[in-house]
Amino acid sequence: MRKALVIVTTVLLVAFVLQFVFAAVGAFTRPAGDGAYALHSVTGMAVIPALTLLTTLFAVLAKAPGRLIGLAILPLGLVVVQGLIAMLANASTDAAGASTPFGLTIAGLHALNGIIAVHVVVSVHQAARKLAHPVPADTTPVTVREGEPA
Amino acid sequence: MTVGSLLAADLVIAVLAAAGWLGGGAASAARRRPLARGLAAVALLATVVRAITITALARAGWWFAAEKVLIAAPLSLAAVLVAGPRLLRTPGDPRSVAVPLLFAGYANSAALLVTVLHGYPASAGAGLLAVAGVVTATAVSWRALNARPSRAVSRAALVVAVAALVTGTGLAATPAAAPAVPHDHEYREARTVGEPTRRFTLTAGTATVSVSGRDVAAWAFNGQVPGPELTATVGDVLEVTLRNRDIARGVTLHWHGYDVPNSQDGVPGVTQAAVLPGQEFVYRFRADQAGTYWYHTHAVSDVGVRKGLYGVLVVRPAPVTGVDVTVPVHTLSGLPLPAPRTEPVEAGTPVRLRLVNTDSTTHRYALAGAPFQVAAIDGSDLQGPTSLVDTAVLIPAGGRYDLVFTAPATPVALFVDGRAVYSTGPVATATGAWPVLDPLTYGAASPAPWSRFDREFTLVLDRGLDLHGLLPRYAHTVNGAADPDIPPQVVRPGDIVRFTIVNRSLVVHPWHLHGHHVLVLSRNGEPATGSPLWLDSFDVRPGDVWVVAFRADNPGMWANHCHNLAHADAGMTLHLMYS
Repeated sequence: MRKALVIVTTVLLVAFVLQFVFAAVGAFTRPAGDGAYALHSVTGMAVIPALTLLTTLFAVLAKAPGRLIGLAILPLGLVVVQGLIAMLANASTDAAGASTPFGLTIAGLHALNGIIAVHVVVSVHQAARKLAHPVPADTTPVTVREGEPA
Repeated sequence: MTVGSLLAADLVIAVLAAAGWLGGGAASAARRRPLARGLAAVALLATVVRAITITALARAGWWFAAEKVLIAAPLSLAAVLVAGPRLLRTPGDPRSVAVPLLFAGYANSAALLVTVLHGYPASAGAGLLAVAGVVTATAVSWRALNARPSRAVSRAALVVAVAALVTGTGLAATPAAAPAVPHDHEYREARTVGEPTRRFTLTAGTATVSVSGRDVAAWAFNGQVPGPELTATVGDVLEVTLRNRDIARGVTLHWHGYDVPNSQDGVPGVTQAAVLPGQEFVYRFRADQAGTYWYHTHAVSDVGVRKGLYGVLVVRPAPVTGVDVTVPVHTLSGLPLPAPRTEPVEAGTPVRLRLVNTDSTTHRYALAGAPFQVAAIDGSDLQGPTSLVDTAVLIPAGGRYDLVFTAPATPVALFVDGRAVYSTGPVATATGAWPVLDPLTYGAASPAPWSRFDREFTLVLDRGLDLHGLLPRYAHTVNGAADPDIPPQVVRPGDIVRFTIVNRSLVVHPWHLHGHHVLVLSRNGEPATGSPLWLDSFDVRPGDVWVVAFRADNPGMWANHCHNLAHADAGMTLHLMYS
């Protein structure tokens, strides 16, 4: 189960890397339009939340410490906030639909929040690896408790 | 503060409250008492502020606040009641407050998700699913933090969570008996309107057009974007043959703002079948309304119109006198159309600029260099228009304004979003700071033609999760449902129908009813005091409440939708039908 946790956190990390790639794809697509960010939207609103839930589930099943479970679920909250920031930034336009300084400031938070989220996922990945491969020297074998109701 | 910004502020505060409680819970689980208290204090403050924003929204209209009062408020209250007293006590282990704080965080997050995913109408199903989520998340956290609840508490939590989940799912999944638009109908034959006096042929096909010196791939009528300008004089009978050369997804012609018989309205699947490559369809109708209109495809309308399948339709009451210019504004592959044009006009000549917005978003038009009048909006003449100077107009997606002026000896220029599009000579004027005309207070009033209404409908525009399709989508919704699950509005011939259109979302929705012009009665509770406004396209901004009315005098099945065509595609389309 701990190996599975490492695998799923790796997949989540890859999804985050791709998410940054898709953001760049959206930014450089010509002509720019709502469709430019389709990949970014789908990954952000479906793929990443699903993988985050899966990571959390595996962390619970792998009997990971509470801190790791908490870290594993955190990206879900950040992703919801990410969507709301995008909505607010798109909403903060002037009457003719052009961007405003306020809206662009909000939009900037979308990037910052994304950086925070990817850091959290890196931490989760590292913690999961540590859990799967405890430092072999001078440690007592981990007793794996099994059959306990989740 | 406008209701629109209040909606946005309320959302931000709700996020802060949820994040504060959750962060406090995590901090206390990590035994960081001061941080936990600080974050919880932020959450408490946000909850208090939110009480104010929710009250203000409820005063603006129950539509804006329903789920916040019925679902978010009780959950927030439970959060404060559970977490508050624990914070005040100072027990030995700071971890003991982690679960109450996390519970508060889950309660606030669940309420926030209800607002974002299925805010209107407030439903018992959504509320119960929120409760199930909160109880489950709290129970899991409780176990994960190794501070196991007693067996009785565990069992009670399990029972509550399962009961709420089952009932909530049951209520949410029960079909609201949406009598979908009947699709088994046959398209009725075109009415005979006499022998055509004006004949046109429009052939839709892929094409490469040149915009600002760049070659752009487009979909075009007769190889040009915009398509040919169709003109007629009142009384003409138009016959337009539509052919499709190679648009695989099909085309139709919708006469935007022209109240044609239903069979000529060009809505695929409703009034006709889409015209596929190699096929043709003949439209025939009498030009009995003068004014500025436009035509566009209604098959895959979002992509089709954006790529160039549109053109202008002008019906004049008499032959042109003076200068009469159409300015159809469009964005093709990111490039603005039409190309700037300059023509000298002799002083004293009457000029009519027919401004058309064929995009999916609002544009700002400013006429510099001469006093002008807004003679007509959406094809209908205004009563007693006064002279305007240094004033901009905002034209909604699909809308038209006719500006008239007498050419002065000095140059005049029309700016669209700051770009000069039509001018009679060089003009350097900054128009960005000009005030914007409010058509509801412009011109001379006359009493409303009706005082009672036979049918009333409320359309609450929002976003929400739509699970009815093959794939879940975050749809643009009307009354909590997305096309094709929005029940049609049924009226009888001769009814006076009143629409109340409410925008709960954070984006503008340009509303467009086919086959009828609606009379604007009020906006945000303020009655329209200017010239009667008979519109077919009007911007319902975030937080706006528009009340409009019309006489049901054009039988058939009519699309009634948002003219931001991407929104229409994403669910914001319903139908008006006659019984």
